[in-house]
Amino acid sequence: MSARSRIGVFVCHPADSDAGPVDLQAVTAWSAGLPGVLSARLVLVKRPLDPLALREEIRRGGLTAIVIAGYRPGHYKPAFTRALAADGGDPDQVRLASFREHGAMAEHALERAKAVVACAVHGVPFSLAAQPESVPVNPATLVIGGGVGGIQAALEIADAGHTVYLVERQGTIGGHMAMFDKTFPTLDCAACILTPKMVSVGQHPNIELMVLSEVQEVQGRAGDYRVKVLRHATRVDADTCVACADCAQFCPVVVPSEFDVGIATRKAIYIPFPQAVPNAYLVDPEHCTWILSDGKKCGACVKKCAKEAIHLDAKDEVVELQVGNIVVATGYDTFDARRIERYGYGAHPNVLTALEFERLTNASGPTGGKIVLKTLKHNKRTKSDEWVFEPDGPRPKAVAILHCVGSRDQNHNAYCSRVCCMYSLKFAHLVREKLPEARCLEFYIDMRAFGKGYEEFFERIQEEGVFVVRGRSAKVTERDGQLYLRGEDILADRVVETPVDMVLLSVGLQPTADADRLAGILGIDRAEGGWFNELDSNTEPTSTERGGIFVAGACQGPKDIPDTVAQASAVAAQVLQTIVSGRAHQGRRHLTLEDIEKSARALAAQ
Amino acid sequence: MAVRMNPGLVDDLARYGADDVTKCFQCGNCSAACPFSQDPFIFPRKPMRYLQMGLEERLRSSLEPWLCYYCGECSVECPRGAEPGETMMSMRRWLTAQYDFTGLSRLFYRSWKAELLAILLVSLITGAGFLTFGFLRGGGDLSVYDGPGAFLPAGAVHVFDWTMGGALLALLLVNCLRMWRFTMGGERRPRVPAGAYLRHLLLLPWHFFTQKRYAECGEKRPWATHLVLMLSYVTILVLVMFFLRDLQFGPEIRWSVHALGYVASIGLITTASLAIRGRLKKDAPYHKHSHESDWAFLVLLVFVASTGVVQHVLHRAGLPTAANVAYLVHLMGVVPMLVVEVPFSKWSHLAYRPLAMYFARLQAEALAARAGRPAPEPKPQLAT
Repeated sequence: MSARSRIGVFVCHPADSDAGPVDLQAVTAWSAGLPGVLSARLVLVKRPLDPLALREEIRRGGLTAIVIAGYRPGHYKPAFTRALAADGGDPDQVRLASFREHGAMAEHALERAKAVVACAVHGVPFSLAAQPESVPVNPATLVIGGGVGGIQAALEIADAGHTVYLVERQGTIGGHMAMFDKTFPTLDCAACILTPKMVSVGQHPNIELMVLSEVQEVQGRAGDYRVKVLRHATRVDADTCVACADCAQFCPVVVPSEFDVGIATRKAIYIPFPQAVPNAYLVDPEHCTWILSDGKKCGACVKKCAKEAIHLDAKDEVVELQVGNIVVATGYDTFDARRIERYGYGAHPNVLTALEFERLTNASGPTGGKIVLKTLKHNKRTKSDEWVFEPDGPRPKAVAILHCVGSRDQNHNAYCSRVCCMYSLKFAHLVREKLPEARCLEFYIDMRAFGKGYEEFFERIQEEGVFVVRGRSAKVTERDGQLYLRGEDILADRVVETPVDMVLLSVGLQPTADADRLAGILGIDRAEGGWFNELDSNTEPTSTERGGIFVAGACQGPKDIPDTVAQASAVAAQVLQTIVSGRAHQGRRHLTLEDIEKSARALAAQ
Repeated sequence: MAVRMNPGLVDDLARYGADDVTKCFQCGNCSAACPFSQDPFIFPRKPMRYLQMGLEERLRSSLEPWLCYYCGECSVECPRGAEPGETMMSMRRWLTAQYDFTGLSRLFYRSWKAELLAILLVSLITGAGFLTFGFLRGGGDLSVYDGPGAFLPAGAVHVFDWTMGGALLALLLVNCLRMWRFTMGGERRPRVPAGAYLRHLLLLPWHFFTQKRYAECGEKRPWATHLVLMLSYVTILVLVMFFLRDLQFGPEIRWSVHALGYVASIGLITTASLAIRGRLKKDAPYHKHSHESDWAFLVLLVFVASTGVVQHVLHRAGLPTAANVAYLVHLMGVVPMLVVEVPFSKWSHLAYRPLAMYFARLQAEALAARAGRPAPEPKPQLAT
């Protein structure tokens, strides 16, 4: 910008069209305060602009440069150019500030529009000023979330020789995938794929694993983030513990197991599952008698531990990390099936959610993988009757699988959760395989078999004798101890009401309960539905608005395992790119006046 | 057989109140949620499909819209907000217009202005007519309400009653015949033997007087309201058509007739007011949407019932002139209500709905016989 410029800003907009996402009045008022700007005016254009009138205005104001701002400012350029040139002005001094071209159309539209105008006033091309500034990068990386996505990203970065901090909220890494029995469409054993990777993470010299931990605070900028992590005490020394289970044997407190989604129990000192990483016991402070009584009662585990690994009085601590990049791979929660009362989840014992069935049919589950109905059993401890899974429980004669529970429903989540059709087909296969004599029905709206080998899998399931019914089932009822399912069989043109013994609800995916809090801590956006927002769904699907923070897996949107792993690898490549080049890019959102002036000075110096 | 499609069908139905049909993605949730949807009559999804595809003939020959009593369960559970319940309601309006050979129904449903104009016009003609009649051929004295010298003698009004009643009934009957032809004729429908028509004839009064199916439709309250309203209406209609002389008798109270009138008036005003309140407050899924014809129906009903009560009270209060004026105003409400609503608008459903139940039973039996199956249970067995 030359200090001698006398600039007039004209925010031009057709009078008969609506104002669009940018507050045009505000931009106009704000522009008037920029250095060198003598006048700023909002022009609502009714007829083609009259160059003679503009010339008069330019002459009166003594303007030497014009900035035309608006969604399509180029439309008005000829009139201004003629007006300015008429008195010998420099026609090159008609500059455009296009909101549409520079993305001031969605979120933060006003801020972006202001930056676009400021660039034009300073004579700096917006794309030049907005080019992410590159800064030195700290080669350490923080990965938030230890599911399959977080594991993949952590391993790839660590294998390249760089430090990774892997923060996991649960007591073990593995996430949802560790709970699954099989993967679709290949029917591979999920644990066989995942547990070696988990062990690699646990043993990797470059990975520092922090379980029972949460990110509390993130400060700094790309390449140089300072992160506070709250590490809850596990109260068992993971290096000493050999997972011999002596402690749990003597622990008197029985609570539902999180890993088995409540269909099995664990003790207050427990290991989430036998292949957990780290492979050590943990203490649940909310249920441990010793902790709840301030050390006055119990403490049996401490006495029984031959390795003296248990320290019930251990305290939570906050650690500070310095990292250059952050990978967010926090995954998803499943839809709470209780919200749809007519499916009877919670009211009927044999209406199960998808995760419950995953655990039931899993060889490491409470029945050793047998698909059985719950039986009513007297619990001596609580002195009440409870519905529980027993390995020798009765086998269901008919199993129904209901798709789209909480998905594609305006009353709940309007989006498609992507994975449910396929995992439902997998369930149907498992039912037919393990209970060949049982009837298996699937009620779907549309079958979304969109991936490689998925459509073939669907065909295979149909050939296996599953009744695949097009129609969204409406309700599950109980008469005389028998469950009935009512739904329309659209392709057969009839309404069916059929007795079933077990109903599996294919619950959809939704953002984790604390996604909002985490988005606030990280300073990244959430899209409609609450998923973390990517910068550009086509070309930058794993970057966020904030440089140095990347998203991978289902926290960005519902996703199956192959897509999650692919995204995690993509993120690892992006992180490694910054480490190898030694430079990280700032995000583009915060383009301040200082940034623009700096670019202007740099341009002038050239 | 070629199927003719009318791409404008959705737009046409929109003028009868259905505006969310295109949102429907045919998941079938509504048909499963509906306690009545059952082979061979599956709804609301199937009729919604007819709409989406523009299958006008199919829709015209459908009985399904009349089998719905609009509990609104389908709309509450619809994952798309496509309002299947209200769509069924608008299909009933559309069908009413299709059955009506005069085209007036179509005009009234599609333009509330036309309906209002018709009501006002008939009202004015009625007022002018009865006033002229009263002065020229009746008692001629506005201060005489009852007895031989009455301004509007019961005998003369009876003649008018019966003429109008006969004409309206004839119109309605012709429309019912058309309904029969659309729904029971045609190649697609199974042939129903004449014996079956006779065997099930009692279904007509059964459904008319008990509306039993409505009671099986979700809550009991809407059914009770609807039944009380209908029974009150029929009671008053019978009183007016056959016992007008006793009704007009006074100023003493003739309990044998008047007691019935009181009960029915209270029933009518209460239930109609409840319905108006419900529609204003949108307190239930079936009250969420109100077409102009719903308002016309309820407002006229309350107006007619209350003016009827007012003239009766005035008469008893020894104000015969005022009673006669109220009587005229009352007639100016009654006549347009009957003329416009009975054959052309919402009232006609008191004929179409029992007929549809009757036809549906016949068709279900005929279909079952053709397939060699026993006839399906008329009631779906649903646990709650």
